[in-house]
Amino acid sequence: MSVITTKGVTKTYNPEKIPVHALNGVDLEIKEGEFTAIVGPSGSGKTTLLNIIGGLDRPSNGSVQINQTDIATLSDNQLIDFRKENIGFVFQAYNLIPVLTAKENVEFVMLLQGKSKAERDSRVNALMKAVGLETKINKRPSELSGGQQQRVAVARALAPKPRFILADEPTANLDSHSTANLLDLMLELNQKENVTFIFSTHDQRVIDRARRVITLVDGKIETDEVRA
Amino acid sequence: MIPILAWRNTWRNPTRSWVVIIAIAMGIWAAMFMTGFATGMSRSYIENAIQGLLSHIQIHQPEYLQDRSVKSRIPDLAVLQERLEYEENIANYSIRTLATGMVASGNATRGVTIRGVEPEMEKQVSNIATKLQEGDYFESDRKNQLLISRKMADKLKAKLRSKLVLTFQDMEGTITAGAFRVVGIFESGNAPFDEGNVFVKRQDLNRLLTEATADPIPSGELAHEVAIMLRYPETLETTESVFEKAFPKLQTDTYREAAPDLQLYESQIENVSMIYLTIIMLALVFGIINTMLMAVLERVKELGMLMAIGMNKLKVFLMIVVETLLLGLIGAPLGVLLGSLTISYLGKNGLDLSSFSQSLQMYGLSEQVYFDLEPSVYVQIPVAIFITALMAAIYPAFKAIRLRPVEAIRKI
Ligand SMILES: Nc1ncnc2c1ncn2[C@@H]1O[C@H](COP(=O)(O)OP(=O)(O)O)[C@@H](O)[C@H]1O
Ligand SMILES: [Mg+2]
Repeated sequence: MSVITTKGVTKTYNPEKIPVHALNGVDLEIKEGEFTAIVGPSGSGKTTLLNIIGGLDRPSNGSVQINQTDIATLSDNQLIDFRKENIGFVFQAYNLIPVLTAKENVEFVMLLQGKSKAERDSRVNALMKAVGLETKINKRPSELSGGQQQRVAVARALAPKPRFILADEPTANLDSHSTANLLDLMLELNQKENVTFIFSTHDQRVIDRARRVITLVDGKIETDEVRA
Repeated sequence: MIPILAWRNTWRNPTRSWVVIIAIAMGIWAAMFMTGFATGMSRSYIENAIQGLLSHIQIHQPEYLQDRSVKSRIPDLAVLQERLEYEENIANYSIRTLATGMVASGNATRGVTIRGVEPEMEKQVSNIATKLQEGDYFESDRKNQLLISRKMADKLKAKLRSKLVLTFQDMEGTITAGAFRVVGIFESGNAPFDEGNVFVKRQDLNRLLTEATADPIPSGELAHEVAIMLRYPETLETTESVFEKAFPKLQTDTYREAAPDLQLYESQIENVSMIYLTIIMLALVFGIINTMLMAVLERVKELGMLMAIGMNKLKVFLMIVVETLLLGLIGAPLGVLLGSLTISYLGKNGLDLSSFSQSLQMYGLSEQVYFDLEPSVYVQIPVAIFITALMAAIYPAFKAIRLRPVEAIRKI
């Protein structure tokens, strides 16, 4: 079953002044349980594509369907709610709320969803264990390493049980050891719990571990390779 | 969750938060100080006026208030006096004979109101006896004693023991004159009053007024003004109406009616404190907007992330507003506490303004101001400042929700 379907997506920044054609017709289908890397040189449109798939930005042309919903039909505020229920985000940096502890960060979106305390507690504990940080529950982000922060971010993204997780260069600020750890974690979640991941990267070690690799060049899909 | 998040956000930059808290506290303190000062000033002004010649209640013949003629005397003074003695609530009263005329020395002449008083009675009602700088208050039994102000003495180049001539119309309308000796020189603290009033004994003035009359009224029955001090000033209006009913042909006025300028002054003072409050609120609005805007702008990425992961605009808006309100919630009690302490201290000990005494006297104000505040003001001011903080929060909060998450996150 496909969770994301894009048809003829284009994105032009500054259409009036100096137009930048960041995406030039992207047709894409992502199925449940995939572990997909979007790769390509800097400026090829990876971030733009992830933002549009994630409902953070709107395409200039074309359509984006997530779980059978055409997100063009949603207002800005509806889109915020839609993201809350359906999409988990892991950004390159500034993922966590600095004044909240790791536990509170993971709990945050569930609180926004109005989930009960019991449900939140059991989920947060399970997730903190899954990302191997059960001992860091009460630490603030500033007390955690970069790798640990990204693992909390993955747990935070997973907490509300989204349909898929978008991660824009999640390992860009990490050393190779932390990068490997984070990839291990993501793969494990993907295999054991069937979590759909879509992440962008230009790190070859990360690309090597992806199960599907979509290469963007100049805002177009050049290759789309599914590995065994 | 929003309050917890807001509370922690408030303390991300403690110095900045304290600056706002202290600004709010100082704003409340300053507003209370200004209002307390103004209220104290206006109360002391009114109190001074009452302690002066105004008293709580004045009784005249209605025409007197129009024509100021010696002929417009109070009829049946004895009946009125009987009633004055009988009324429980009347602490003291003073019977005065008034004439307008001139006072002249060899050097100069001034127009004055000549106030004929019963020295003992007057002492109980007004504070003129306590305002003497030189000489005494009608201590001897000699005829034609005169009290003039320091200002008047200077203008007339008169001294203690100088002989001055008072000229005025008698009961027949004939110009009459009498030579009076200065026995005392006063300074009331109210410059306009000092320039226009002299005091003599009522019996001396009455004698000169009636001497040449064909059908003389007994000197003891001639008077134009009765000034009354009440035992319980709260009963002002009821006592007034008692006399209005009992003596419908006389004009009974409370000090508010007798001196409408007092009310004008009171409302004027109120306006001035409103203006100060407005200025303080405006200053606070800009201070708070500025600070909260800084707090929003340095968190652009984080706010973008919050909206990206599902925090809706209303919640983001509320978070910023609550952050501001928390600052107000800490600052307001602090300000009220400081303000109350200041008011209660300056209410007891007063604020010494003697360095401004010259200009204060010009307006009949006293040098020592005892601060005072209506109880309701203790609530009004913090509420006004609180609303100010709320209004100031709105713009930064709007700024925050106008952010588009993509753009905020792009900046990472
Ligand atoms: N807000 C923007 N305004 C104008 N041009 C932009 C904006 N964001 C991205 N671009 C341009 O769009 C193109 C694609 O950018 P991006 O999606 O960030 O690529 P990538 O993530 O692969 O580096 C680049 O040429 C970039 O300069
Ligand atoms: Mg990018």
